[in-house]
Amino acid sequence: MQTEDRYDDLSALFEAQDEALQNEAFVERVMQPIRKRSRWRAPLLFGAGGLGIGAALSQMGGLFDVVNARAARLSQSVGEVQVQAQFWDGLGVDPLWFGAIAVVVISCAAIVATERA
Amino acid sequence: MRTDSDLARDAASGEEVAFETLVRRHHGAVRGVCHRLARHAAEADDIAQAAFLTAWRKIGGYRGGSFKAWICTIAYREFLQARRKQKPEVEFDESAHIIAFDTSAARLSDQMDLDRALKTLPENQRICVVLCVASGLSHSEASAATGFPLGTVKSHVSRGVAALRKQLAAENVA
Repeated sequence: MQTEDRYDDLSALFEAQDEALQNEAFVERVMQPIRKRSRWRAPLLFGAGGLGIGAALSQMGGLFDVVNARAARLSQSVGEVQVQAQFWDGLGVDPLWFGAIAVVVISCAAIVATERA
Repeated sequence: MRTDSDLARDAASGEEVAFETLVRRHHGAVRGVCHRLARHAAEADDIAQAAFLTAWRKIGGYRGGSFKAWICTIAYREFLQARRKQKPEVEFDESAHIIAFDTSAARLSDQMDLDRALKTLPENQRICVVLCVASGLSHSEASAATGFPLGTVKSHVSRGVAALRKQLAAENVA
């Protein structure tokens, strides 16, 4: 700021004007729509996400039985990829539902992460 | 007292109370910028409100430095957007809700002189004076906000300040 002009006299006059413009009614006017939006946003977002996850889970009846049966096997080799494919068949679940869950979760995360970026 | 940066960080994580404190601290300055740039008080308050709502959405993008300069830059951009949308022949709505301001504590005659003097400046000069002198932006920040070259901003501020001083001095003598 050393190279910039000094204009403290005028700045003081502008500051006095700004102080005169302070008004609680304006603060309320700004905050009202923000509070209103926040009230419905979180329930709506998490409600929609919850519905999506609930719908997906309802399609995965056999999941936990199969997971329990295979829990001892903690590592798998590349050669077992085909076995994994059979795993999905064994569940009787359309893998599309897992994709749907991923989309819902990623979408919710993206909304939350970017809305005030 | 919590700093603006602390409050902005908390606001970015969704804390409305932190943002409200920032609004309370800076709304005078933001309304001031808008009143100096816009044609009417009601329009100025609409722009100031829009600036704060944009700031709430973009608060995660605040990277420190002067919060006042950051929010005043947003207010200036909102002013430009509002002006682009305006039709030239639009009549001022006299019935629009205007939030009054308290003049009792301020130096009313000085303010009126200042307003009058400011209005006589060419628009680009007035913009640079409002951003740099009234809102505290550096010349570089004003250059980034307005898109004017740095040298142009310096020249506008220098001439604008000189013209304001000259007019205020003349009015005080008269």
